[in-house]
Formats: sequence, structure tokens, C-alpha cells
Amino acid sequence: MTGRPAFGDFLTAARDSLAPRPGQPPPGRGDVEEVSRSLARVVTLLARYTQDTATAFLGIPRRAPPPSAPWGRARAQALQALASSAACLHRPGTGRPVWPGPPSASPLARRLDELATALATGRDLLYTHFAPGPGGGRAHDSPWALALTSERLHRALLAELAALAQQVARHGANVALAPGPGVPADPGQRRALNGACQWLHVYAASIHAARRQQPVPAADRDLLAALPANTLPARPARTGAQDIPGLCDAVITTAERLRHLAWHSAHQPPWSPGLTITSLRQAAETSTLTSHHCALLGGLLADTAARSGHPAARKDLAAAGRAARRASSTWYHAARGLREVTTDTRGQVSPAAAEARDLAWWTGRLAHADPAWALTSGPHTPPRTPHGLVPDPGHLPHVITAVHQAAEAIALLAGTEHHHLHGALHAHRILVPTRTLSSDYDIPRPYSPAPEQCTGPLLGRYQNARKASRQATTGIGRAAHAAGAPSRVLATAREITTAARSATPVMDTGHPALPGGREHEPDPPGPMQQALRGLGVTDAALLARGADLDRASQRLLIDAADQLPPASHRPPATTLNRTAATAALLNHALATGNPQAAQLLRPTEAQREQPGPEPEPQA
Amino acid sequence: MRHLATAAEHLGQARGLPAVLDAACDAFEAILQVIGDYEDTTGTVCAPLLLAATQAANGRDAVLFAPSLPPRARHPPRATQEQERGSAAGISAATAGVSRLLAARLTHAAALAAGADQGACHDAARHATQIHGLLTGHRP
Repeated sequence: MTGRPAFGDFLTAARDSLAPRPGQPPPGRGDVEEVSRSLARVVTLLARYTQDTATAFLGIPRRAPPPSAPWGRARAQALQALASSAACLHRPGTGRPVWPGPPSASPLARRLDELATALATGRDLLYTHFAPGPGGGRAHDSPWALALTSERLHRALLAELAALAQQVARHGANVALAPGPGVPADPGQRRALNGACQWLHVYAASIHAARRQQPVPAADRDLLAALPANTLPARPARTGAQDIPGLCDAVITTAERLRHLAWHSAHQPPWSPGLTITSLRQAAETSTLTSHHCALLGGLLADTAARSGHPAARKDLAAAGRAARRASSTWYHAARGLREVTTDTRGQVSPAAAEARDLAWWTGRLAHADPAWALTSGPHTPPRTPHGLVPDPGHLPHVITAVHQAAEAIALLAGTEHHHLHGALHAHRILVPTRTLSSDYDIPRPYSPAPEQCTGPLLGRYQNARKASRQATTGIGRAAHAAGAPSRVLATAREITTAARSATPVMDTGHPALPGGREHEPDPPGPMQQALRGLGVTDAALLARGADLDRASQRLLIDAADQLPPASHRPPATTLNRTAATAALLNHALATGNPQAAQLLRPTEAQREQPGPEPEPQA
Repeated sequence: MRHLATAAEHLGQARGLPAVLDAACDAFEAILQVIGDYEDTTGTVCAPLLLAATQAANGRDAVLFAPSLPPRARHPPRATQEQERGSAAGISAATAGVSRLLAARLTHAAALAAGADQGACHDAARHATQIHGLLTGHRP
């Protein structure tokens, strides 16, 4: 939303790396050795992501589901499948992959290298939300980190990875089973590559099985894609934006900056000289104004929603406007209380307080009709008309996003300011001018530590501001969902992190989301269809019969998987791919994503005890 | 606007650094009192007055830590007085007048003071100037 790279950019790049491209050879072609090498990198990254979700970004305490729960089981099975896939690719004698690898010539190897780069960069982006923590662990370093370590986002991440793994497996198996002309064939290498791809199918099937039992809400996937890099966006220039879209962008960027700065200010110790009454006052007065502007904007948006084709958002926007008005009032009372006290250091304005002033300015510009509006403009400055705020109904989601972002930033600021005040009180840094005390106090100096009857109510006012500011985000969050505004991810993040509401999320279909809005990919042709096409058959009836036979063989193998002998009496999985025909049949069954089919490949106990080494990039 | 008039009178009569600091502290308090009364009686928040009140509190604090400020007020506030009523425009004009006087007296005092007193006078004068700017749109 603020021009920063988001995780979704890298997910899209990962999907695009496997998609057909006009004028380029299809990705399902390539040299087996090259493809195996590139696939090993992809498998390594999938394993690291999956491990991240199993350990909740190592070092951070969390409540992971027990292994018996569907997702806990899926995660364990997925990690085993990746270990088996890696073991196939790193058989004795094949050596270990080098990093960076030599440039690939094969189409699929090049695409897999692109995929690995997208995945690695995306993971780096996620890790920007963490910092070194105590005891060698990691600590949250952004307001998004708590959502990122949640089980719900882990599931969304695994769902995305499963969709990618399935596509990789399909392309990789094509290379393994259909060598290109003139390419020397090493049967062992082909079997290994195919085996690795089959385990990727098992990986995807494990995750799909959990999704069927506990679906991943579409909103969670949206939030995952929207996670930005943890950097401070550039400050918008006041001379720039004058039109509504430009003002909305400036509000959004400033709100994101405020969230970032306020969150980081929370780490400031209570004895820090940077914690001053000057900052506290500026944050409170400007939040009073920003909340007031949000109230104005909420009312204007409510009037606009019905005629903009979003009647469902009208009620929520009106409620958001009322809640913002209450928030403004509570912030005012906090500001009023701060006039009565001071701190031992003064003058310095924190970056968060400075940004809060900017946010009041930008939201004021958005709310008022006067293009020269300033914080010093009087109370009689007329606000915009509903049509002036949203001249084009298509802009409604953008304006809602701006107001939503501003409200969220103020809610976060309320929490951090309350935290600062609380810390300053405990450090005895809140003072009161003795001139304002009654004559009962005989203090021979102009200030003294603030008495309890002064600090108690002040803390209470901040608690009210915090509560009211949070409430103001609820209505606007609902409206964002109703209008399909990009900021709806903020509401999802809040829902995930507080778990206080019982909103009904939009459930997904159990299928991975595909670029371009496609929900289903056509089933890949099975071995019989491929054989017919290889013979040059184009007759639709014959191809349909071939497809029927492929489906029947799929079904047969899946049913057979239910009646397999105990693992100890079965041949090792690697021997299943001894012939290309068997491998093709197995691949087709595994490609269904049916968890029963995955039983065909489950490792024996001996294999499970000695998993293959995870490939590690070498410098 | 009685508070402001009294504060301006004390400020005008103050001689010597301690007396100027004492009167300045009272004047900032008077601004806070008048704006607070306006907010209480109207139940509305006027952005320029809200921001001016913050600057008044900052100015008072700057004076409060000046070493030469007398520990006790020379003109203690009278007990419980009626709230003053006035329009936003009237209060803005009266406050702007006092703030201009504050800025002038404190700037003059800073020239005569030294060390922490000088810094306090400079800071307080700056806040007084900001109050004037907020309420009039220009600097004195």
C-alpha cells in the first residue's frame, strides 16, 4: 500500500516463474542433472519455510498445535516429505549443490532458479520483521510480526507453498519421464528426479489434507500477500499531493510511518531523556485532531457508500465515524490532563509525535474543502462534500483505506503512549507545578512528583483513549471488508492478533489461488492421454476415453493405497519408479493431491529414522 | 478574559528577572485557564486553541525550570472563580495579545539573563511566539 515491497510480490514472482511465457520454451523441458540441481535449491527453501512455520520463526515462544491436530500432523508429514525429496536429489555420488550454482541452460532449471530466488527473497522479507532477541532467539521488530508468527498465517503460507510444490512436481516429472531429443539419459538420475517430484506431491497432499479439515480463510492469504518489508516508507512531500488519490496516498504512507515509529518507540526505556512531556502532548493533541478528521471522513464516506455501490459499508462507516468522534473526545481529555503535569526533560519531540502531527495535517487536508487548510485553520472551515471526497465511486475503497490506516495508526499510538506514560510514572518522572496545587501543599520549589490523585485519572484518560481508538478501527475495518478496500488486511491482522472477535472469515475453496483469478487448473494429461497424443491422436472421443482410463487408474491406485500391507512389508519407495510406466502412473495419482495417494510413498520406519540430508547451500 | 488582563498587567509591571519569570509563568497559566474554560463551556475543540494551549503548557514548563523563578507565586491564584465565557475569536485575539507581550518580555529577559535562566527565557519566548502564530497566522 505504500510502495514498499510486499511478500505477495515474491509469491507472484514465484508463480510466474512456473507459468507459460509467450515465445519461450515450456518450463517442462530440461537437462535432468541441471533440473535436479535447481530443484534441490527449491526443496531446501521449501524446507526452510516449512521449518519456520514449525518453529514459529525460531526463538519466539508460541503455542503450536499438537502433532495430533490436522495442521500439526500435516507439518510433520510435509517436513518428512521434503527430507525424502532432498534425499532423492542427493544420492551418494551426486555431490552437494554449490551456491551460487553455475548458470542453468535448461528452461525448467532456469525457471526453478527464478523460483528459488523469489522464495529466498520473500523469506528474507519476512525475516525483516524480526531482530536478534535475548538468548540467541528472535524478537518481534514490527507491528506485523505478531500476525506473522500466528498459526493462521503459517497455514496460509503452507497453502501457498503447497500450490507451488505441486506445480514444480508436475514440471519436474515431465523432465524426468520425457527426455528431450539428444539428451543423454541416466536412468538412475531420472528415477531420482521423479522420486523427488513425487515427494513434492506428498508434501502438497499433506497440506491439502489439513486444509480440507481446517480451511485457510481467503483473508489470511490476502494478509500474507500484503505483508510489507519492515522499512520506514519515505515521508510524503507536502507540496505534492493535492487531489483526492494523492491525499489518500499521503495519509496511507504517513499512517504506515507512524505505526512503524510508534511501534519502535515502545522499546524506549522509561528513563530515556527522549521521553518528554513535549512528545506526549504533541501526540495527544494531534491524535485528537486526526480522530476528529476520521470522524468527519467516516460521516462523508457513509453518505457516499450507498451511491458508490457499497450499501453494506454505509452502516459500518457511520458507526466508524461515531466511534472516531468518541476517540477524539478521549484523546482531548488526555491532552487536557497533560497540561497539568510536566516531565524532568522537555523540548525533544519524538519521531512518532512528529509523524502524528503530519498525520493530523494530511487527514485534515483530506477532510476539508479548503486546499489551503492547515492545523491553524479555525473550527468553521467547511468539510468536503461527499461528492467532493469521492467524485468517482471507484475511489471509495482507496479513501476507506486512507481512513482505516489513519485510525489503525492512532490506535497503535494510543497503546504506545499509554505505555510511555505508565513507564514515566513508575520512574517518578511525571512532575506537577506546585503553583497549581492548593495551599495545603507547602513545597518550597516550583515542581514536585505528581501526586496519585493527579496521575491516576491521567492514566485512566489514556486507557479510555486506547479503548476508544481501538473501537474506531472496528467499524472502518468492517467497511473495508465490505467495500473490498486494500486495508481490509489490517482488520484481519487485528483479528488474528487480538483473537477477540468472532468475525466469520471468508473460507477458501480448498484449492490454491491462482494468478489471474483462476481457481482451477485443468487436470494435467495422464499417461494414457500422453501416449495417445504422442501417437498423434487428435480424435476427441479417443482422447476422452484415454482420460477416462487415466482417471480409473488414478482411482485404482488411490483405492489400493488403502489396502497396502504394513510399511515393513513393502518395498522402499525408491523402487517404485523402476519403470517409466509405473512412475508415470504414480505421478498421475499423486498429482490429484489426494492424501490417500500419498500413502503409496510414505517412508518405511527405517527410512524415517535415517532421513536424507537436507541440502545446504555452500559458499 | 479577566485572567488574561490581570496576567498582562503583572507582566507589564514586572521588573527584574525573577519578577518577569514569575509573571510569565502566571501568564502561561492564564492562557491555559482561559482556553480550558472555553473548551469546557462550549464542549467543542477548536484546533488553533488546542494547539495554543499545548504551547502555553510548554512555555510554562520552560519557565518553571528556570533557576531564578521564585519558588512561590507572587500573585497566588484566587480560589474557585467562575468560568470565563467568550467566543473563539475573542479568546484568540486576547490570547494572541498576551502571547505577543510574553514573547517580547521574555526575549528581553533572555538578553539580560545567563546560563539556564537564559535558556529558559529563550524557550519560553519561542513558545509564546508560536502561540501568537497559531492564533493570528503570522509572527509578531
